[in-house]
Amino acid sequence: MKSTIDDLENLIRRAQDGDEHAMTGLITIHKALIFTIVLRMTNDYDTSQDLTQETFIKVFMNIRKVKSVEHFKPWMCMIARNLVRDYFRRIKRSNTISFESIKDFHGRSNIEMTRRRMIIQNALAKLTEKDQMLLTLTYYEGMKLDEVAEVMKMTASNVKIGIHRARKRLRKQLEGYEHELLSAG
Amino acid sequence: MNSCPQVEKIVDYCLGELTGREKGNFEMHLKSCEICQRELRVEMAVENELSREFDPGFIENRIKARLQLKQTQDMRSFWLYAFRMAVYGVTAAVAAFVLIPMLLKSLLGSVPNLSQYTQGVGELLGKLAPGNMFIMVLGFCYIAVFVVSMYSLAQIRR
Repeated sequence: MKSTIDDLENLIRRAQDGDEHAMTGLITIHKALIFTIVLRMTNDYDTSQDLTQETFIKVFMNIRKVKSVEHFKPWMCMIARNLVRDYFRRIKRSNTISFESIKDFHGRSNIEMTRRRMIIQNALAKLTEKDQMLLTLTYYEGMKLDEVAEVMKMTASNVKIGIHRARKRLRKQLEGYEHELLSAG
Repeated sequence: MNSCPQVEKIVDYCLGELTGREKGNFEMHLKSCEICQRELRVEMAVENELSREFDPGFIENRIKARLQLKQTQDMRSFWLYAFRMAVYGVTAAVAAFVLIPMLLKSLLGSVPNLSQYTQGVGELLGKLAPGNMFIMVLGFCYIAVFVVSMYSLAQIRR
């Protein structure tokens, strides 16, 4: 764990000096996290790719501001979140997701699975931006409670309460779909 | 549908928020309650979906290319801004020292000597104030414009 942090710190320092290999390394490590956050919120594959790239451009334009490795991931997530917010300010947000768009970003999975994902993603889209972000960050492997709190600008205890409520609200949105959720493996 | 009173505990259970004893009791209950078992399966399905991560594919080179393009554009806009500021500066200098006195001369017949109107200010400035306060005021204005331009330039570059 210590060496991972050291590696990350080394990559950040080198990227601050303009090392392109270090930048590539940072993108490779974090691209799935940023893309997942953006995709969960926008439900659009192309837009998410574009916003993920924008996020990294903004990260590298401002990487000299990073003082400690612990804050790097939350800071990056915050940039992604702000870019998604700006994007939604520009376009009118739709909270219904089509079967095709889900199929796009889930690749070649079977129809039942795609349907299940569409149901969950539709339910998620009906939650507030804050709830979506909380659930996405919490269940994303590798995000600590403190990091989620930093991204959300909340205390760790409020994050816990928030997750709990968001999860209940998500469950409420899923009422009536239980059979379909359980039918696909 | 949710007729079991214990069903409310599912989320706490999934989030690991039940204490040891509560957890034990709930797990005992789970073994015999079909409603809670079904609800737990739904929660697990949701959790599985939420913990999925998506891969954007190989975007590293595209990001670096866009970053380079952006840096080039920023640099170009910086130099464009610097050039514009230089043009403004020269124009302000020409206006201050050549055009305005010429215009005033053609309108009034001679370059007005404002020292008579600004004698009070001149006295305050003491020996520093030259005879022609008008030129001096314009000079100060020009320096102010120059300093503000340089400050804006520094802000943009930062």
